[in-house]
Amino acid sequence: MDKHFAARRRRDLVIAAVLAALAALAPLFIKDVYVQNILILTLMYAALSQSWNILSGYCGQISLGHALYFGIGAYTTELLFTKFGVLPWFGMLAGGVIAAVIAMGLGYPFFRLRGHYFVIATIVIAEIGLLLFQNWEWAGAAMGITIPVRGDSWLKFQFMRSKLPYFYFALVLCSVAWFVTWWLEDSKWGFWWRAVKDNPEAAESLGVVVFNSKMGAAAVSAFLVAIGGAFYAQFLAYIDPESVMGFQFSLLMALPAVLGGIGTLWGPVLGAAILIPMTELTRSYIGGSGRGVDLIVYGALIVAISLALPRGLVSLFSRSKAKGATR
Amino acid sequence: MTALLETRGVWQRFGGLVANSDVSISVGRGEIVGLIGPNGAGKSTLFNLIAGVLPPTQGSIWFDGEDVTALPAAERCQRGVGRTFQVVKSFETMTVIDNVIVGALMRNTVMREARRKAHEVLEFTGLAARADVLASDLVPAEKRRLEVARALATEPKLLLLDEVLTGLTPTEAQTGVALVRKVRDAGITVLMVEHVMEIVMPLVDRAIVLDLGKVLVEGKPTDVVRDPKVIKAYLGDRHAVSA
Repeated sequence: MDKHFAARRRRDLVIAAVLAALAALAPLFIKDVYVQNILILTLMYAALSQSWNILSGYCGQISLGHALYFGIGAYTTELLFTKFGVLPWFGMLAGGVIAAVIAMGLGYPFFRLRGHYFVIATIVIAEIGLLLFQNWEWAGAAMGITIPVRGDSWLKFQFMRSKLPYFYFALVLCSVAWFVTWWLEDSKWGFWWRAVKDNPEAAESLGVVVFNSKMGAAAVSAFLVAIGGAFYAQFLAYIDPESVMGFQFSLLMALPAVLGGIGTLWGPVLGAAILIPMTELTRSYIGGSGRGVDLIVYGALIVAISLALPRGLVSLFSRSKAKGATR
Repeated sequence: MTALLETRGVWQRFGGLVANSDVSISVGRGEIVGLIGPNGAGKSTLFNLIAGVLPPTQGSIWFDGEDVTALPAAERCQRGVGRTFQVVKSFETMTVIDNVIVGALMRNTVMREARRKAHEVLEFTGLAARADVLASDLVPAEKRRLEVARALATEPKLLLLDEVLTGLTPTEAQTGVALVRKVRDAGITVLMVEHVMEIVMPLVDRAIVLDLGKVLVEGKPTDVVRDPKVIKAYLGDRHAVSA
């Protein structure tokens, strides 16, 4: 009776492993730095969106303030590195933990809000965070922090000559975020989250502690996003509030998941694989005129996909397999 | 033997409205008890108080020898109170089996166990063939059954059924009645709110009639339906006199 289910889980895992292996080989053929750059960003946003999807997709608490956790990851890492000489690897973990704690601290009052009110609260909180960092002298205020160049090394997670190490880190991060989602999907938490999203009152009547499950989702989600933020800071080698905590990051985390299929395992990866290259390509080929044609094309494509496939790109794949599969 | 469920002098006020006034009822182990009464009698309110959706304004609720008045719904579920909703609240984006797994996770923390338990419950409730269908694709009668299945998966001692038989075709209702009997035979106590008298009366061991927030009459179903007070509450004075 559970053969279908177990088989589907295994199939997902195999597909993911194959995709990751293929991605790992990609740099052998792709030498162009510009294209490598796009790949790195695609992997990063796939990872971020996958993490966002845990809270907003599975648990249904739509956040448009995840830029806050992204920024916290970036700032924690760089402040610890430039002020105290702490290696970025530790800074990264510290950033993740701080972001998770802040997410829960914010969740305490805000998870009482529902629907649109919750979304608005997340936007406002992220804007407040941005303003705080813009005015925080010790953290460089609006000027930001330049990460001192200490030569290429894995220890300091800093590479000037080649982008490949960043590529591989992004690939690992993306794989980890995917795997965590895969694992959580068939766990008590995964079921609780989906129940909370669909109907909190019914969930409560079945013994689900709604508040705690939201807190759990927020912590995992924020932790992973902060790791992404730390990575991005190292990748840019320079951060300021707007470039790691701006509202656009909140959107760029949400969009791939929404476009690919919100609350699904493959949605974020699929969405990012299409959206991020599209962003970069429209910008470089038809942008630059100063008239924003690239943004019009970009926006039109998003609208077109959303209209054609309201349940996301993954529905292209699931429709044909709907019979016999668990989902 | 102590009762499984007891409400002691329970009051519920919503502003100036008194939905329940001084309601004391008890449900013994293994019983099927029907909670009936005309619209606005306070049945649903009492139901929600027992399930822990809201705390009573006054009075206490005892379950299995323990005062559970202050416990929220999730913890009452853990103590052994399962419920269905009058307006069905399925997890629409999840499959039938996944809906039931949510309930099964209450007592089975290992996924494989929970899944096995959920399949068992689907067999029991006759939904096994629909396991992989999305809850949103079920017909109304199946959705009602899914509500029952989900609650049963939490392995309750007391099952609260909120109008599960209302709005069904006679055949569907008969299947529902059979299911309720089967639930009781499995050792689960049942408290059910119901409107359709001719279906519920042969089913229950005891009926409690609420009217205007108070317990009006309580007793065997055959006695209750003949009670002039009950006829008056349902149909008005004229009919009570002629009875």
